Amino acid sequence: MSAVKQPVADITTRGGAATLWRQRAASADESRTGNLVRALWPLLGVTLVVLVAPLLAPYGSTDINPAGALQAPSGAAWFGTDELSRDVFSRVLFGLRTSWLSALAVIAVGAVIGSVIGAVAGAVGGWVDAVLMRTTDLFLAMPAPVLAIAVVAALGPSLRNTLIALAVVWWPWYARIVRGEVRRMAARPHAEAARLAGVSRARLIRKHLLPGAVAPVFVTMSLDVANLVLALASLSFIGLGAPPPAAELGAMSARATTYLLDQPWVSVAPGVAVAVLALAGTVIGDRANRRIREGAAR
Amino acid sequence: MTRLFLNRALAMVAVLFGLAVAVFVLQVVIPTDPARAMVGSNAPEEVVAQARADLGYDQPIPAQFAAYLGRITRGDLQHSLHTHNPVSDDLGRFAPATIELGFYAALIAGALGLGLGLLLVGGGLVGRVARVVLVGWAAVPAFLTGMLLIVVFYSWLHVLPGSGRVDDDLLLPDGPTGLLTVDALLTGQFALLGNLISHLVLPAVTLALLPAVAIARTLHASLEQVMGEDYIRTARSKGLRERTVLLRHALRNAAGPTLTMAGLLVGLMLGGVVVVEQIFSWPGLGLYVTQSIAYSDFPAITGTTLALGAAYVVINFWVDVAQAVADPRLRSA
Repeated sequence: MSAVKQPVADITTRGGAATLWRQRAASADESRTGNLVRALWPLLGVTLVVLVAPLLAPYGSTDINPAGALQAPSGAAWFGTDELSRDVFSRVLFGLRTSWLSALAVIAVGAVIGSVIGAVAGAVGGWVDAVLMRTTDLFLAMPAPVLAIAVVAALGPSLRNTLIALAVVWWPWYARIVRGEVRRMAARPHAEAARLAGVSRARLIRKHLLPGAVAPVFVTMSLDVANLVLALASLSFIGLGAPPPAAELGAMSARATTYLLDQPWVSVAPGVAVAVLALAGTVIGDRANRRIREGAAR
Repeated sequence: MTRLFLNRALAMVAVLFGLAVAVFVLQVVIPTDPARAMVGSNAPEEVVAQARADLGYDQPIPAQFAAYLGRITRGDLQHSLHTHNPVSDDLGRFAPATIELGFYAALIAGALGLGLGLLLVGGGLVGRVARVVLVGWAAVPAFLTGMLLIVVFYSWLHVLPGSGRVDDDLLLPDGPTGLLTVDALLTGQFALLGNLISHLVLPAVTLALLPAVAIARTLHASLEQVMGEDYIRTARSKGLRERTVLLRHALRNAAGPTLTMAGLLVGLMLGGVVVVEQIFSWPGLGLYVTQSIAYSDFPAITGTTLALGAAYVVINFWVDVAQAVADPRLRSA
């Protein structure tokens, strides 16, 4: 980032200060936004694919495949059929949609809650910062999977409650990141200039501090997609997801373990689908991470 | 050092209190009535009211919280609704199996992570292959790994058992530790020991894989950094073999960040153990909690959460202290 040298006299006037930060923010913003979009379009791509996939399913998620129960994979049932004669391939397509969209939803909710808390803590400082960050530390110090299991078990197993539980254990990471970035930004000359220009605190946070946290938050979000796909599948596997007959990958796999030795495809196929989805998330996340870091270094 | 110890101990107590509060909040917000759940759905209203009074749920919230804190510090975790035993007894019965599984999984994870981390640093074709394998591995859910291992090693090759902790027809030693492999070794029952180990292999490997990947990645990152330092150049220019440089000079200084992760890995394994125990019908805390979920057995679920959460917090405290002992630079923190 090329530092725009301005005479000190200029930033003492409102107009000067505004021009200064606008110049810097504009150039930084353009390259950053461009990088973000380029790095994240594959996420959109996968989202479109999982949205379209169920439309291509030969059967509905609870429809009976006339081939019969527990059939081996064949032309009539690509991934075979389960114990209730449902088409495993079709159910996997529906399950992919649920898994992917749920992961995105948890990340979005976690990132928003975490960002708000982190931004307030970082910008306000003082005892507000202390209280909010000690609370965050408290959440980080507790074992997330155990806490998530307890939350879903308490609220009652359902997809919505699983998403709530995961958001509860996921936001603290974002709060930490955003707080750190906001503190860093607040020490920068452009924030100083904005403060001298007399902008309100809300505007300072929104326009001058928070934009600096956008890139790191998006990097973390993209890296988290795979983690959440796996976390959701595991919770669903131990019985903490949508109740049957919902087509959820983890639950499908768990219910078919009874037939694992004779009809392994019924439980292996949804597991492989989870792995494929998580792998897609990992690759996209790593790529976004590299891109955004390169962009930031330039 | 004493000050650091006291600081960390204080933080640990604060976190334990936070955990207790979190579990209490869950108890207050649950949609089901615990008194009704205890006496059954057909019980008359007076019986439910009596149970509610017995459990103290007719008291105001602060009084309930005080009673709850007193109760859990005495180790009273109420009675399980499906085993009808005190939850603390159940935990004592199921914990050794989980501790044993976790211990062997941690050993495997450490060895595997170390090996993979060194392979990655070695670079070349082997390093590149290891990198791809690691990325792929991290995406495979533990339940898929477990099922594939069962299909291959139990169903196809018939070399390892696919479920349980020991063959049913074997007599088990009666203590002293409850960790069956240790007890078998102490009482000299080597046939039993072999049987126990064969049952441990698949679940321990399944549980170890994800932590192993995390260890390998962290170790790789810190080794890369250390390998660029001046003292490594000095060691190389002395004419030492690359292997000696890596193992004797670099590894020691790169181990720090990996050890820091030990605490986090315990958390990762606590999550994994629930899934792994379910797949392999391993009679530990994970299986206990999944069954409790199926029975909506809330006292059992909260009791296990408190116990596992407390174990995690205490382990992390000792990891912190051990690190400060090992690395004097951390003591000022």
